Amino acid sequence: MTITPTTTQRLVTARDRTFGAWRRVDGLARLATIVLGALVLLTVVAVLTGVFGSTSATIGGRFAPPSPLAPLGTDNLGRSFLPRLFEGIATTLVVSIVAVLCSAAISTLIGMIAGYYGGAVSELVMRIVDVLYAFPALVLAILVSALLGPGRPAAIVSIVAITIPLMTRVVRVATRTVAERDFVVSARISGVRTPVIFARRLLPNIAGTVVVQASYALSVAILVEGGLSFLGFGVQVPEASLGLLIQQGMLAMTFAPHLLIVPGAVLVVAILCINLIGDSLRDRLEPRETRSLT
Amino acid sequence: MRTRTTAGAAITAIALLALTGCTGASGPAPAATSEEVAPGFLAVADDTAPAGGELVVQVDYDTAEAGGLDPQSAATARSWMLEGLVYETLTTIDENLAVAPGLAASWETPSDTQYVFTLADDAVFSNGRPMTAADVVGSLQRLRDTPVTWTGQLGPIVSIEATGDLEVTVTLSEPYTPFLAALANTPAAILPMAEIEAGTVDITTEMLGTGPLVASAHRQDEQWTFVPNEHHPDAASLGFSTLTVDIVGDEATRAAALRDGSADLAILNSTDSASLLSGAADVRVATQRNTDFHYLMINSIGGDPALADEKVRFALNSAIDRDAINALVFGGSTAVTGVTPAGLPDSCDPSELASSARDVAAAKSAIDAVGGLDLNLLVYTDEPVLAQIAQVIQQNLAEIGVTVSIEQVDYATYSGKVYADPSDFDLALSWFAGYADPAMVTTWWNPTLAGFSSVYMTGSSDLNAAIATGASTPAGEERATALAEVCDLADRQSEMVPLVLRPSTIGWNTAELSPTLTADEGYGNVLRHITEFRVG
Amino acid sequence: MIVVLWSIRRVLAALVTLAGVSVLIFASVRLMPGDYTDLVLGPLATEAQRALAVAASGLDLPIPEQYLRWIGGVLTGDLGYSFVSNVSVTEEFAARLPVTATIAALTVVVTLLVGIPLGFVSALRAEGSAGAVGRFVSALGISVPEFLLAGLLVFAVSTLGLGISVGQYSSFAEDPGRFFGSLVLPIVVLSVGCVAVVARNTRDAVLNVLVEPHVQASVARGETPMFIIRHHVLRNAAVPILTIVGALVAVLLGGTVIVEFVFNVPGMGSYLQTALGRRDYNIIQNAVLLAAAVFIVTALVVDLVSNAIDPRLRLTGGSRR
Repeated sequence: MTITPTTTQRLVTARDRTFGAWRRVDGLARLATIVLGALVLLTVVAVLTGVFGSTSATIGGRFAPPSPLAPLGTDNLGRSFLPRLFEGIATTLVVSIVAVLCSAAISTLIGMIAGYYGGAVSELVMRIVDVLYAFPALVLAILVSALLGPGRPAAIVSIVAITIPLMTRVVRVATRTVAERDFVVSARISGVRTPVIFARRLLPNIAGTVVVQASYALSVAILVEGGLSFLGFGVQVPEASLGLLIQQGMLAMTFAPHLLIVPGAVLVVAILCINLIGDSLRDRLEPRETRSLT
Repeated sequence: MRTRTTAGAAITAIALLALTGCTGASGPAPAATSEEVAPGFLAVADDTAPAGGELVVQVDYDTAEAGGLDPQSAATARSWMLEGLVYETLTTIDENLAVAPGLAASWETPSDTQYVFTLADDAVFSNGRPMTAADVVGSLQRLRDTPVTWTGQLGPIVSIEATGDLEVTVTLSEPYTPFLAALANTPAAILPMAEIEAGTVDITTEMLGTGPLVASAHRQDEQWTFVPNEHHPDAASLGFSTLTVDIVGDEATRAAALRDGSADLAILNSTDSASLLSGAADVRVATQRNTDFHYLMINSIGGDPALADEKVRFALNSAIDRDAINALVFGGSTAVTGVTPAGLPDSCDPSELASSARDVAAAKSAIDAVGGLDLNLLVYTDEPVLAQIAQVIQQNLAEIGVTVSIEQVDYATYSGKVYADPSDFDLALSWFAGYADPAMVTTWWNPTLAGFSSVYMTGSSDLNAAIATGASTPAGEERATALAEVCDLADRQSEMVPLVLRPSTIGWNTAELSPTLTADEGYGNVLRHITEFRVG
Repeated sequence: MIVVLWSIRRVLAALVTLAGVSVLIFASVRLMPGDYTDLVLGPLATEAQRALAVAASGLDLPIPEQYLRWIGGVLTGDLGYSFVSNVSVTEEFAARLPVTATIAALTVVVTLLVGIPLGFVSALRAEGSAGAVGRFVSALGISVPEFLLAGLLVFAVSTLGLGISVGQYSSFAEDPGRFFGSLVLPIVVLSVGCVAVVARNTRDAVLNVLVEPHVQASVARGETPMFIIRHHVLRNAAVPILTIVGALVAVLLGGTVIVEFVFNVPGMGSYLQTALGRRDYNIIQNAVLLAAAVFIVTALVVDLVSNAIDPRLRLTGGSRR
């Protein structure tokens, strides 16, 4: 149920239909969307066109100060830092988004199955999910990294494994609530096939919950990816990710602080924006009245 | 709302730009120095400095050997250093990497296969029992009875006998020049054989030696505590009351400890740590040359089939820009080397090697002839510098048409791929300890003698012969020629390719600690002269 | 009666989950390439040394037997020995668990003392610019990565000489002052994230209650805010707050690896990470099992307490989760 309480009714104009959604979002989330959008756009342009230079060529001395050739200076192997920064942002975002999409897809499917069927099926699904949930997160990530070999696939699988449990639980609860409603019950009684019930009746009603959870999962994914790369189990050199750049930046803190501050700030800003957008999404898609207490 | 939003966006953008503009210092301050305050020494302890305080040292990892604390099976430099605080060896090495007396006060060589050692008369184990010739004989014999890695380094020993109260004679089957230098490392330390044979001490869990310190506490991977051995000749003049060795894995944390004075000395792993500490008052960071060196393995047995061809391997070898590795990874602080560590007497000159000509065109055509190559390069995470060397090599090899993908794995995984039978890698990076005699490390280029390298290199009979000659020729012109031959053959065969020397970076607090540190070291023992350290 | 049955069901489910965790960790460590003999012995070891090491560690037994030996040991209290240090696992844990437990406990205390009031205040002033600032700050708290904050603190503290040094750990028995001193920084770093999470969740829980009809009715009747908070908000908001605190406890006990590594505190997290690198199976298996057990027990306790507080959960046959 997504009835947003309105205090006054007024005529819905064409303008409202296009910009109405944007207008109803509050200032903070709007700012976050703009900043994040700008960041993503800039990164896409930088990575696809390579306009800032090569990410792997040595163009100068180590830790050289900013110059026309290297607008953010060079890193510990003499490579221009600016293109590497954008590569880092791109890698972090791509890995996290892919992971969250997979996680959302899987969680939604098994959460719906558990919530709809209940009973033994639900118990089985939840036990398996609980095993993953009970595992210490970083240990799980390190294990996956050791089994698959470090790199992007391992980072993605780790994030999926870490974020599935919570999302599945939320989807299951939401599904259970919706599944008890009359329109679902009547569909079942009248013999509508289960996949159709899932797709046409359940999914649209829990979509809001899934989107909100996915947005929070995205911020968790970015943090996990950063932590993994920081410890050395994630993305590998000579590729860059924000976590890796931060780790390298820490060893140059006193004489080249921008190598730490810039990726650090970008990481914090990105996660912050995603969280603020997530908050706003939740306010829109899951107004307080309909949220479960737990 | 709208104005607030745009203002907010503008502020954010400006802030980001300001941050990027805030670049502060122009590049790192000069890297660690290797200035010598006296010939061969980075630092010499000042006799007048205050003494008697607690010495705190931070290192990066602890001993973790299968044989526990038994020095004979110790295989890593950290183990040698830590156990070397409690045990002593017959010989030791001085600041010029020449052999000097240790527990053996003097020796004679009546023939080139016989050594007669006269033992020091003031060596006492920490339980009060004086060391005897029987201990020496028993210790060396134990190395031969239960062969460990170091046994091979001692050479072809035929017999060890006590020929006097304080005299031991060792006979070899043929001349072996590195013998005295091999005796200088911790695995050849003198053990309390009487107690071991009586069963009153288990040296895998407890250390009992003649050295200046006694281990009073040990928490694995956390901390060691040492107290002076009262029976040691230097006990009275020791410049500190206790030694605490903290195991601290994070480099930045060790640097922080030096900065705030909570550590007196720390072993650092990156030359950049010197720049990190350049603003800190009272901290000096120095680079200690070592005879250790990094090398690249090119797997001719289990790797890409094209690597079985010597021409292809040599092409890879000659494409590597060692000077770039030195400049980019080590900030220019180290040196290129051949198989015999540069700097040791009789070592070969790396600039005379065939690969140093760096004929990139020829290398490229050799690779083109096999239609390009796609190889993986394995490094392990415990040594971050390996990943950096790998990146330079990746760039170098890209120039000749070889695509390299770097795989950074933990040591157990690395070991499982590199040293397994069959081996599973194309290229891999690692490092060897260089020891104190140029012929010692050459042993590893003979797969039969080395054992571990037989899964990825075949070697050759002429290389093996050259290695044997190099080991048995006495020091001098003739030996230099023989070792040059070893370097040259190994270079052409390009199965294990030496790169650059691997220095140690040492930082210490000059206000609290007055240490004695040599400019060069053969066994990674930064604390070799700890008996002269003075802590206020 | 319902409660008893429900509790038994939950306990059984917990045991099944624990068993699942044990199988998963047992299998995964053995699937990791390399084993401790490769690592600790290194390439320069002889065959004889290797064979000795393998036999001593029991790695030559068939896999199912190894699993049963381990589980049998756990049930009788014998957790085996560390391959590397040859010290019993129980002893090693006894030395390190108090550190992690203290960090977790103190972090939770700080979090409750700071986070819950913050959440309340933020909920009661949810409108306007104060609300926006509150949301911004709490979102910031969960957006700063642990490793970044920890690394910056190490640097800042050592440069500014605030009297706290990093890496000066001393056990409680030896020097209580230094013990707590060395834990201050890890607790600060962990608290930042935890306070933010708890504040956000508290705010949400309180706001959720405030929009309920019975609260609106209460306001219409003219009750004072304090009365409303005491009688309506506290008990209703308690369950979600409790849930999130429970989750925090579990996460803290399993996830302090990064702060322990950077601040050089010898706790379970960094110990487990070292053991993973060394393929020290007994340590890894038992540590993970312990962490999972703590998590499951905590969840169970939270559920039972939630049930006691909120009868509605009992009627629906269990926690809404």
